[in-house]
Amino acid sequence: MRSARSDANMASSEKSTKERLLSTLDDLEVLSREMIEMLALSRSQKPPQSGEDNQVLELLVQRDGEFQALMQQAVEQGRQQQEMLRLEKELEKRDSDIQQLQKQLKEAEHILATAVYQAKEKLKSIEKARKGSISSEEIIKYAHRISASNAVCAPLNWVPGDPRRPYPTDLEMRSGMLGQMNNPSNNGNVNGHLPGDALAAGRLPDILTSQYLWQSTDVSMGMLPPHHGNEFGPGHNKENEDDVEAMSTDTSSSSSDSD
Amino acid sequence: METEEQARNRFQLELEFVQCLANPNYLNFLAQRGYFRDKPFVNYLKYLLYWKEPEYAKFLKYPHCLHTLELLQYEHFRKELVNAQCTKFIDEQQLLHWQHYARKRTRLQQALVEQQHQAQQQQLPHSNAVAK
Repeated sequence: MRSARSDANMASSEKSTKERLLSTLDDLEVLSREMIEMLALSRSQKPPQSGEDNQVLELLVQRDGEFQALMQQAVEQGRQQQEMLRLEKELEKRDSDIQQLQKQLKEAEHILATAVYQAKEKLKSIEKARKGSISSEEIIKYAHRISASNAVCAPLNWVPGDPRRPYPTDLEMRSGMLGQMNNPSNNGNVNGHLPGDALAAGRLPDILTSQYLWQSTDVSMGMLPPHHGNEFGPGHNKENEDDVEAMSTDTSSSSSDSD
Repeated sequence: METEEQARNRFQLELEFVQCLANPNYLNFLAQRGYFRDKPFVNYLKYLLYWKEPEYAKFLKYPHCLHTLELLQYEHFRKELVNAQCTKFIDEQQLLHWQHYARKRTRLQQALVEQQHQAQQQQLPHSNAVAK
């Protein structure tokens, strides 16, 4: 009959069911005692005090009625308490279900995020590969070009004393467009003009007859360099072409092809 | 604005110049005349890095120049090039590297020839045994 709720409501203005029940019981006890006393008295004494015992009787009946009502209330409250407990249990169960779901969602999110990240990485590398792709035919052609001219691999019969080099030699540099630029007598005939001394030395034809000239005028017909708008520095000439020619006469060359 | 003709000429010139950088003696020459101390020249060297792109690189006959071009981006390298000893060393190493594949190929060829000899020698006693 004790409702936990009513215990908690001690401070409220309404008395708890337990209190009211107890107080009603006390009243009943007092009234019934009085009744019995009066009855006992009325047995021993003749003059009846009709007004009082009626009153007491009425009060008794009233209190009993109250008591019954309170009992009903208590039963009702007990039922509600049970209901509350049941609902609380269900709440707990739902709570744990939600937490479980939360955990699973988190896991799923984590897995998906990893998958997405890896897919993105893959896409990035695919893009990178696609950007840098060059037709194999071109690569083979280029490889053939640079190997055939002995530019990256020495000729098999090379000995110290052989003038061939993996870089353009003085001669080649002078006979190129760069070297011819500042030579006024050659302005009419830039490509293919043979410097007299080199021809006499008999070495130049070897270079010029190679299939792929390092200046590549025929191959690069359509090619243009990137724009730069002359912003290298205040009023400077970026290539000092005149010095290409001057070089071969000045340098103390360590290679053995000097004249 | 430059005309297409001028652009083509510039292409030629830059192609030649960038390949000249493969020549260590030329590098020494440039260093001794102070070109590597000139800021616009250094900027130009940086601009020349476009030759590394495949559509431009395919015109290079002397690909060693690309390596040199990359090294030239570093000031320390440019400073060292003033020394003739330094460029001599570079030249020697470059030549040795250049000869590396040739030597490797001759070695491989010799090994192959030896292998064939051995195979032949093994075959002869076997065929003799079968004939009998």
